[in-house]
Amino acid sequence: MATAVMTTLDPRSRAAARGMSDISIRNLFIIPTILFLIVFNIFPLLYSLGYSFTDFRASGNAAANFVGLQNYRTLLNDPFIWNNFVITAKYVVVSVIGQVVVGFGTAMLLNRDIPLKGLITTLLLLPMMLSMAVVGLFWKLLYDPSFGIINYALGLGKFEWLSNPDMALYAVALTDIWMWSPFVMLLSLAGLSAVPKHLYEAAAIDRAGPLYTFFRITLPLVAPILMIAVIFRTMEAFKTFDLAYILTSQPTTEVISIRLYKMAFQEWQTGLSCALAYIVLIMVLAITNIYVKYLNKVKER
Amino acid sequence: MTQIELRNIQKFFGPNQVMKDVNLKITDNEFIVLLGPSGCGKTTTLRAIAGLETIDEGDILIDGKAVQHLKCSDRDIAMVFQSFSLYPHMNVFENIAFPLRATRMSKGDVDRSVREIAQVLRITDLLDRKPSALSGGDMQRVAIGRALVRQPKAMLMDEPIGALDAKLREDMRAEIKRLHLKQGSTTIYVTHDQIEAMSLADRIVIMNDGLIQQDDTPAEVYAHPANLFVARFVGSPVMNIIDAGVAMNGTGAKVTLKGADEGFSFPAELVGKLDAAKGKAGQLALGVRSEGVIVSREKQDGYLPVEAHIIEPLGAYDIVDLKIGDEMLRARTRTGFVPAPGERVYARIDPSQAHFFDTASGNSLGIRL
Repeated sequence: MATAVMTTLDPRSRAAARGMSDISIRNLFIIPTILFLIVFNIFPLLYSLGYSFTDFRASGNAAANFVGLQNYRTLLNDPFIWNNFVITAKYVVVSVIGQVVVGFGTAMLLNRDIPLKGLITTLLLLPMMLSMAVVGLFWKLLYDPSFGIINYALGLGKFEWLSNPDMALYAVALTDIWMWSPFVMLLSLAGLSAVPKHLYEAAAIDRAGPLYTFFRITLPLVAPILMIAVIFRTMEAFKTFDLAYILTSQPTTEVISIRLYKMAFQEWQTGLSCALAYIVLIMVLAITNIYVKYLNKVKER
Repeated sequence: MTQIELRNIQKFFGPNQVMKDVNLKITDNEFIVLLGPSGCGKTTTLRAIAGLETIDEGDILIDGKAVQHLKCSDRDIAMVFQSFSLYPHMNVFENIAFPLRATRMSKGDVDRSVREIAQVLRITDLLDRKPSALSGGDMQRVAIGRALVRQPKAMLMDEPIGALDAKLREDMRAEIKRLHLKQGSTTIYVTHDQIEAMSLADRIVIMNDGLIQQDDTPAEVYAHPANLFVARFVGSPVMNIIDAGVAMNGTGAKVTLKGADEGFSFPAELVGKLDAAKGKAGQLALGVRSEGVIVSREKQDGYLPVEAHIIEPLGAYDIVDLKIGDEMLRARTRTGFVPAPGERVYARIDPSQAHFFDTASGNSLGIRL
């Protein structure tokens, strides 16, 4: 497959007149991107890997001492860190499942001939286009126990959404579901409309009921694109910060990225926080890998 | 034991009427072919029977019961689509098993039925392949297998071999015929290919413009087309249809083609029969298939001199265009019978293969000599 990627330059083209070969054009496009990536992504990544083996503090002038795997050992033996991971996992599961159910459901509803379909779809996409911070501030007002519209609309009286330690995490997840379900919906809608109509006709002729058709035809055929949505949303939910940080400051909503932020920029334990960042990175990579494996399996069919 | 009956079916797509008072009766085990050009309503008719399309008026009866308000799943009819419509994410076994599993048949029965039908269709060794790994012919076999496996009341086929290449089409045609003879289920088959229709059908229903034009056996449709549309649509090469005049000439009738100086001799009874059929002079067309034009290289009694124009050698026979008057008459001759274009030859028309049409109504006058 990798052969014949380069086509020869048309001798009449302007590039040829300027004496540029295909390769120099390619380099013109690629080199700035690679430089950018190296300076802003790869270099900090490697540099922080170095710090994760030291007791460096960015707030002090003391030189960094090499401590080996001590940081990792400390972190992995810290029950509070594990608690942060459990909170994060709960948050990821609730918010991703919620987004898939709501997003896919909305896509199913929209995947038919209805008037103003384009307008409705666009309006439904709005939450996704707002800034995280703005959404957080808005929802803080909506959740407000004394004048928030949610309690008013649901008739919940003075129900505490954000200051109730058992509820706060789910309130944050609910906001995330509101904001990102449209993303799942958009991808699902693309997947659903790509299922050929004649397959549904064949299934109807084959006497398949609506549920059987959904689970045996619709879902398997949409699965690959739905998986992509799930991968994106899981990664995002795993590293979520803004929403949780703005909405509440409960210990029960201290997801791993908030812990990391506090460790790095409030406690100035730079070396330790670099190690934690690496643990998070490895976890995200591992989870994504599981999904990608599954995605490839689904795609084979 | 399935009979299907269509009664006075009307169907509109917006302002377009695509089925105009369609009446059709299909008896048990019959192989019916709906034949017509694209957009003639044949596929709509089929989809209406299947339940994929609603009708605006009329009744569809399966075994005497009106089913037009039932969903497809309640009609117990199987269908093979032109696009095959195999489920791309399932292998061949799962595809064929789908209709059985959808109705919750037990695992053992599913397995047995699928393997049985795979044997009949000779696709046993393909059972664990994905549709994407199959050739066109095999995909079609799987699609037929999926339709046959649950022993439906009737089989509907919508141009099932239209997407295959010519050679494969011929093979699959024979295979469908073999299957029908073996399984013997009531079948309705839609095609625009008249050769397919002729070779497969017990009965051909020719449609045009939402109307049934003729409904008869292949032999009858070929030998006695009901109107100009059928005459032109069925048969290859296309039937010669030329405006003609008829006159008495001594003991026999003369049929003169438009622009010709001389007429072909016909039996005298033609004139009487034309009068009886109310054929009007000036709106009469003669139709004759290429094999009804008899060519001689020597001058003979009753033969008219004509000039050979284009010769199409088709292997088994040649098609020769003969110029007579302003018109071309296509004749079928032995291979190499007329050696070169421009040759002067002599032709006559076999009266028993001649058809007379009223050009105003397009209908055949039904004259048989």
